Amino acid sequence: MPSQEDRARVPEALEAAGGLRPGVARALARQTGVPEAEIYGVGSFFHLLSEPEVEVRVCQGLSCRLAGAEALLEAARESGLKAEGCQCLAACDQPPALLRRRRVLPALRLDEVRGAGADPGAIRAAAAPDDVWAGQVGPEADDPEHLAINLLGPLDWSGAAFARAASMGAAAVFDGLERSGLQGRGGAGFPAHIKWRGVASQAETERYVILNADEGEPGTFKDREVLLRRPDRVVEGLAIAAAAVGATQVYCYLRGEFEIPWQALEGAITRFDAEGRFPGIAFHLHAGQGAYICGEETALMEALEGGRGMPRLKPPFPTEKGLWGKPTLIHNVETIACLPGIVLRGGDWFRELGRTGAGTKLYCVSGHVARPGVYELPLGVTLDELVETAGGYTGRLQAFSPGGASSGFLPADKRDVPLDFKALAAEGSMLGSAGVVVLDESVDMAWAVAQQLRFFEAESCGQCAPCRIGTRFLRERLDAHRAAVAGAGRGEALAQVAEVAWQMNEGSICGLGQAAALPLTSALEHFPDAFA
Amino acid sequence: MTQPQTLTLNGRELAFAPGETVLEVAQRAGSFIPTLCHDPRLAPAGACRTCLVEIEGWRRMAPACATPATAGMAITSESGRIDRHRKSLMALYLADHPEGFVGSELGAPDQVYQLAERYAAPTDWPRMDNIRAGRPLDENPYILFDATKCIACARCTRYCDEVEAVTAITLAGRGSQTTIATVDNLSLLDTTCEMCGGCIDTCPTGAMAEKIPLLTAARPERELTKVRTTCNYCGVGCQMDLNIDPEGNGGRGKVVKITSPAPGTTTNDGNLCVKGRFAYDFIDHEDRLTTPLVRGADGQLQPASWSEALQRAAEGLLGVAERHGKDALGFISSSRCTVEENYLVQKMARAVFGTNHVHQCAAT
Repeated sequence: MPSQEDRARVPEALEAAGGLRPGVARALARQTGVPEAEIYGVGSFFHLLSEPEVEVRVCQGLSCRLAGAEALLEAARESGLKAEGCQCLAACDQPPALLRRRRVLPALRLDEVRGAGADPGAIRAAAAPDDVWAGQVGPEADDPEHLAINLLGPLDWSGAAFARAASMGAAAVFDGLERSGLQGRGGAGFPAHIKWRGVASQAETERYVILNADEGEPGTFKDREVLLRRPDRVVEGLAIAAAAVGATQVYCYLRGEFEIPWQALEGAITRFDAEGRFPGIAFHLHAGQGAYICGEETALMEALEGGRGMPRLKPPFPTEKGLWGKPTLIHNVETIACLPGIVLRGGDWFRELGRTGAGTKLYCVSGHVARPGVYELPLGVTLDELVETAGGYTGRLQAFSPGGASSGFLPADKRDVPLDFKALAAEGSMLGSAGVVVLDESVDMAWAVAQQLRFFEAESCGQCAPCRIGTRFLRERLDAHRAAVAGAGRGEALAQVAEVAWQMNEGSICGLGQAAALPLTSALEHFPDAFA
Repeated sequence: MTQPQTLTLNGRELAFAPGETVLEVAQRAGSFIPTLCHDPRLAPAGACRTCLVEIEGWRRMAPACATPATAGMAITSESGRIDRHRKSLMALYLADHPEGFVGSELGAPDQVYQLAERYAAPTDWPRMDNIRAGRPLDENPYILFDATKCIACARCTRYCDEVEAVTAITLAGRGSQTTIATVDNLSLLDTTCEMCGGCIDTCPTGAMAEKIPLLTAARPERELTKVRTTCNYCGVGCQMDLNIDPEGNGGRGKVVKITSPAPGTTTNDGNLCVKGRFAYDFIDHEDRLTTPLVRGADGQLQPASWSEALQRAAEGLLGVAERHGKDALGFISSSRCTVEENYLVQKMARAVFGTNHVHQCAAT
């Protein structure tokens, strides 16, 4: 019988074998004892494994398409490369982006692809030479006392926050966390202290901490910057969390395309380890294999266990039954990176950093703004304030997506809504991952919606029917509608949209399916003329 | 003594045992909740979303199959919201399903159509082309996978894994392309598959289907007569249903397929093996002996009555014993005999012929 570890090894063993080539699954089954069909099912789920022949992938997300991603893909193919489109590479601030094996080449120009010919290894991105991949962040000159994460701040290897948390004791850490008002930064905004107390109160003493670094929501690239610039905060935050909830094993799950952020995180772990800062806590790094859905916490656990990344039914929640059925605390990178500051300066300090919600927030902004990037601002700033920090609009604002593709589209007259969890929810949208995409009046909203629907269709895991069928149904209906508008007459192509959207929201297992219709329904509500 | 725990279902108070799911409690109470991905032999998946019910205090509807019953739970399984859910869900399934009720029924009943009809789901939503990959080149003799009818409920793969522990098939691909595959899409013959056909039995739509009846254009299952019998391939005693086309064989009736009784109703719990499920073509085979044969003076086999045949066999056996001693005889019975028949064979060997030389082919 294959062990838990044998199964967990499968995705990375498939990667090492060059992907799901014929015969690989069978050979791996002989080595591990995991059934060959199961290995095949796993390999076929993840697109970095299932298409081993593809040499480069060009992001076809909304921000990258606005910057010419279609022409870039075309150029790559004309050069003789085996090139495919792919979904968001978390480089929306530096579009268009291309993926070579696991390496993201951002802000790639047509001539940089054409100049390389049929040799993918010869492609050079002037925007990110060598092993550097970092974008614009800010604010540039702010008082670090006012920033919870402070992307531009000096690295701190002292372990002071961990030492302080240890001297405070777990109960005091939980209280501080509660006072801080920290809500999860991955998208759901769940109060962090409830999770921590939930894990700590379990009778089962084998517990785990997971870092969710599977950043993939279109428009979102903040975790990338945190890993690249403040890996010290991430590792120390993980150590604080592990000690407080009684875990000794920390699993870090980074999306497979985060080759460079991986190096930064690994370097930080090595450095802390060398200095013996976090005794008794072991860190394990795992690479995702290409599946947006694995950012969903239970899908991530399935993937960590070596399975197809399909979300689990909840309840039970991970605090009770998580990784390998054990109590598990799982947090987004940004959430974890807030912890050292909260421990050192106190929960009240963090809470007061915010405006309409607690803390500062990393806002990602891309699309039609002067300086796309990641900006740490008080939670609850407005779109105009954010865009001002990012150098201003480059056109007349038509629409914006406040929190990634899942948050749908809001019209320009919602520019004064505070970008926080509550106010956006009240607008039928959400803060989500705070991946703000700005669209000016040159954008055909029906076209923009079509890109988002393609994303969800491609990234639906396929487990539950409302999402599996609904994402494709909506995309096909919108395509039919756009074709009808462009052609002779318009029919009833969108007649079922409202009902399908209702079904997806009510019937889907996880947040992907529940939100996947929102780009279309929100655009139909706010931009009816675009569908006339 | 603790009081039995209770919950309410549509206002009715029902007792339940710890560990029961909402679906199990409802089924025991005779209350119908539709399901597609549920098979009582498997761990609940909650994936088809057909069995969603409302639970007081829960914001989202919950899958009855996977939700443990708890004390005081107030469950609603019939409401405007649930009806709307069932209608739109089944309409989506239909949009992703081949058109044509009759065609879909040639293998087995298609529960997607049955539930869509039951809940009056809209049938006029635009259809989508099938994009799920099948295995058209799989030349195994028994099991057909029709990807167009697949709803990716994973009953077949979970059955293969959880009940048979064979894991020859898997969910493969992602999203709307999710399908059922073998390793590298090989023929089932080149995998660990044991051809038990349990995937066919558990499939709710007929996507996993038996090739023989489809090739012989059998009628829909509802037009067939089921006759319960005991499998005689071995001594386990599996119950099975002969599905008989009453007009076959010139009106004498013809066995056109074999199905297992519903899980939980017989000792084999819905399971059969390759022989029990598929090896029934001998019934009407031209080589099959249907009357005893006795060799005549000319050395040729001739039809005979049972008493003639038994008489000849007894004479021959007793003759050997008389000429060469009792232990010159040996008796070998068949694994196709029941335990009781095997008992009788050894009894005959020992008590009638006085030898302990008795064996059964399944014992080696």
